[in-house]
Amino acid sequence: MTGALLVAGLGAIALGGVLCVLRRGFSTGLAVQTVGAAGVAVAGFWTLGSSASLGDGFSSSFAPRLGVDGLSGLFLGILGLIAVPALAFSVRYLRPGPNGRAVGALTALFVLALALVLCGRDPLTFLVGWESMTLIPAVVILVSRGADRRARRTVFNYLALTHLGGAGTWVAILLLAHAGAIGGQTTIASGSGLQIAIALSALAGMGTKAGVMPLHVWLPRAHPIAPAPVSALMSGVMIKVALYGLVRVLLDWDGVLPVWFGVLVLAAGAFSALGGVVYALFEHDLKRLLAMHSIENIGIIVLGIGASIVLRARGADMWAAFALAAALLHCVNHAVFKALLFLGAGAFERAVGSLEIDRLGGLLRRMPWSGGAFLVGAAAIAGLPPLNGFASEWLTLQALLHIPRYGHVGDGVAGALALAALAATAALAVFCFVKVVGLVLLGAPRTPAVAAAEEQPLPMRAALVFLALACVALGVAPGVLFGPLVGLAPWPSAHATQLGLYLPGTGSLPTVGIALVLVAVTIALALLRGNRRAAPAPNWASGQLVEPALNWTSSGFTKPLRLVLELVLRPQREISSRTVGGVLQQVAYSGNVPHLIEDRLYRPAERMAFRAAVHARRLQTGSVGTYVVYLIALVLVLLVAVRLGVIG
Amino acid sequence: MSAASAVSTAVQVLGGIVLAPLLPGLVQHWKARLQGRRGPTPLQPYRELRRLWGKSMVDPEGSGPIYRLAPVVVAAALVGAVLVVPVAQSAPTLGLGHDALLLLGLLALARFAVASASWDVSNGFSLMGASRDLTLSVFVEATFILSLAVAALTSGTTDLRGVVAGTAGIGVWKSPALALGAVSFAFVVIAETGRQPVDNPDTHLELTMIHEGPLLEYAGRDLAYLQWAAAARHWLVLVLAAEVFLPHPHGVWLQLAVLPVALVPLCAALAIVETILAKMRILLVPRLLAVGAAAALLGIAAWIAGAA
Repeated sequence: MTGALLVAGLGAIALGGVLCVLRRGFSTGLAVQTVGAAGVAVAGFWTLGSSASLGDGFSSSFAPRLGVDGLSGLFLGILGLIAVPALAFSVRYLRPGPNGRAVGALTALFVLALALVLCGRDPLTFLVGWESMTLIPAVVILVSRGADRRARRTVFNYLALTHLGGAGTWVAILLLAHAGAIGGQTTIASGSGLQIAIALSALAGMGTKAGVMPLHVWLPRAHPIAPAPVSALMSGVMIKVALYGLVRVLLDWDGVLPVWFGVLVLAAGAFSALGGVVYALFEHDLKRLLAMHSIENIGIIVLGIGASIVLRARGADMWAAFALAAALLHCVNHAVFKALLFLGAGAFERAVGSLEIDRLGGLLRRMPWSGGAFLVGAAAIAGLPPLNGFASEWLTLQALLHIPRYGHVGDGVAGALALAALAATAALAVFCFVKVVGLVLLGAPRTPAVAAAEEQPLPMRAALVFLALACVALGVAPGVLFGPLVGLAPWPSAHATQLGLYLPGTGSLPTVGIALVLVAVTIALALLRGNRRAAPAPNWASGQLVEPALNWTSSGFTKPLRLVLELVLRPQREISSRTVGGVLQQVAYSGNVPHLIEDRLYRPAERMAFRAAVHARRLQTGSVGTYVVYLIALVLVLLVAVRLGVIG
Repeated sequence: MSAASAVSTAVQVLGGIVLAPLLPGLVQHWKARLQGRRGPTPLQPYRELRRLWGKSMVDPEGSGPIYRLAPVVVAAALVGAVLVVPVAQSAPTLGLGHDALLLLGLLALARFAVASASWDVSNGFSLMGASRDLTLSVFVEATFILSLAVAALTSGTTDLRGVVAGTAGIGVWKSPALALGAVSFAFVVIAETGRQPVDNPDTHLELTMIHEGPLLEYAGRDLAYLQWAAAARHWLVLVLAAEVFLPHPHGVWLQLAVLPVALVPLCAALAIVETILAKMRILLVPRLLAVGAAAALLGIAAWIAGAA
């Protein structure tokens, strides 16, 4: 039954994709895709809830096999849950011209590729799906951006980096298949060289695809230039599917990993979380800012995975399962609010024409539905109770807090540091989204285009409101998902399914009660306050006139933090003034916060690669004679090697 | 519900809501005495609240719904926080539970609301205060959670009732972990209450304001809510200091009896710190808080070494 629904859903998506190509069938095609995605979501979450597997099980052989289990079901559920609003949004967001139709069809292909990774049950299908989910977004960006030279360069970077880093995925999967560990035919010995090699290459390969720092550089470039619904799918789902691979390898197939590897994963998570949010704070483009926040949230999820590895190695199986469930719940939550924020940014871009964060403002008044939904998403990603981001961050914090309880001094202090890093990350996320909400939604419009912005058509508003409601629902009843998620751990574990989060050794989070008390007290206090207001008065500016030139900007608001972190971030700042006859005529200020990992790591690596390429080109003379010499030299070397017994 | 937990709930809710303004009042009163002034009575905050309650509110030009909603949300978040922090080891859950980490979430909600309101009025001084507050909050939150982690590890739970019970006795004198946690929490107390050397509650110069800055445009009952919220923050951290990090007896009745005995000297200590220390440069505050965080980390290491 569930299997039939899943197949029907995926079939509908394929059919919808074909319809999109036709001139007449564009809207119908997207609608059919939306219905199919809804089917996938239901089938996925149903599989998670019933904890029954469908189709084939995992195998290390290369014969194609397809199947679904609880973990795949969860990610299929996420895929459907995000694809529904993204596709509904596309109906009015994409224009039914040739470009729009191609993007609509490619979206279907993208969703199918993601589903293939999740349903693949043998190494080959998995890797085929993995590569197509990397390639299709590149095609989408190229199609939607046309001949844009910068977009082409970004796509090239994206492909080069994800393939270089992604080689780790191939190494890990093929090593596992070779050892026969996929599907549990054999177990890999704990602490063996093979185990560590697999774990490290999976962390590098899948970490690149997920955007873990310092392998993230492609992400903030590629995500923002895709059309908004595809950005939502990339940030909401694609990088989660990469984490699906990481969870499979690190927590299931690769056996029980040593403590130090867990600490390494914790370090990668903490670095991504802090780095992502700090650089997001200094971004000026809304979509780039959101992409940097994806890195932060991936970091939070990776912290949960790392906590799970450490706790499992220390024998605390129950808390290891809770930590994994916390990570998986944050996957769902981040997918929901990040899709909401990306689609919201798409709505603003369509209404205003620009996403330069200092040139928006006052959109809550102009676009109450989209703006209101965006506000909910911002509060959710900032981790505020009673919304969903808080529930999964609370769980991750609790998991990290349990590392010192079960660990020795080294990993215990590492856990405590990760705890502090996550708390600081949460505070920075509040900072960043106060800035976003303030500059985008509140205050006065900063340009005439913003002042004339209009609310978007119904399908787009509906998609945003749907996701905002999902943020609230997942915040009020996170336990509904958390219970089944604990059961997904590859070791025996179970947890009762309740509405709130009730864990032993914590004060528990009765989420329903928290939401009710907060709302009731807010309403009561508002009624108590009444509404006796005097006539509006001008702003206090120490007696100066308030004029637009005094408006605060993103850089101004984040300046204290920039100064505090000066030693780490090394911001650049330049002030030039022009004086004529001793009178100051003009002062120009420019400043930016360079991305240190890009400047110090990737630029030199890129330069070295190009320089090496120049040297390598000398070998390519183009004359046949030289090539014959190369061949003869090669044969001679081989003969000598054989004679010496090095090979053969 | 036993009589003990009923009384402790009453003290928790009524104390947090009604007695909270007395704490900053006491600090101001003693600070004035220490500086050789007569100063206001400890009841001055109540007089201010009564005066504000009778006045009408003012909307600055160009402000919107978020500006009007913020004081209510801030007060509601702080009411929630008061319900979360118990005054003794036994109390009913009151709908919110008593988890220590929820407290951090509720304080973050209040911060988000008040800083968003600053953007809604777009007042430069409000935004300056908000951006400083948010900058410091990064370091405060890290220190806060580490000091709570020390207490949670010592008592084996993050349920604050369990923490009060688990740290009862004179543990702070005997266990290095808890002692280091107490040192670290002292920094949190000063930062969360917005007192010198982190912030100056008496300042009337807009350029030096941190917590007062975002309140600049508010008047009437809006301002009353926000001032009550600042007082409630004193209550929360001082109750935590008294019932977790200072020596306190076992048993609900004794804990309730000791609470005022501990709160009064804590207020006096804040007054003394305010009198002898000047406000520091804001960019140096993170270093101060880093000292607190380092102390808590050492405490955690000491706890693990002691437990192993």
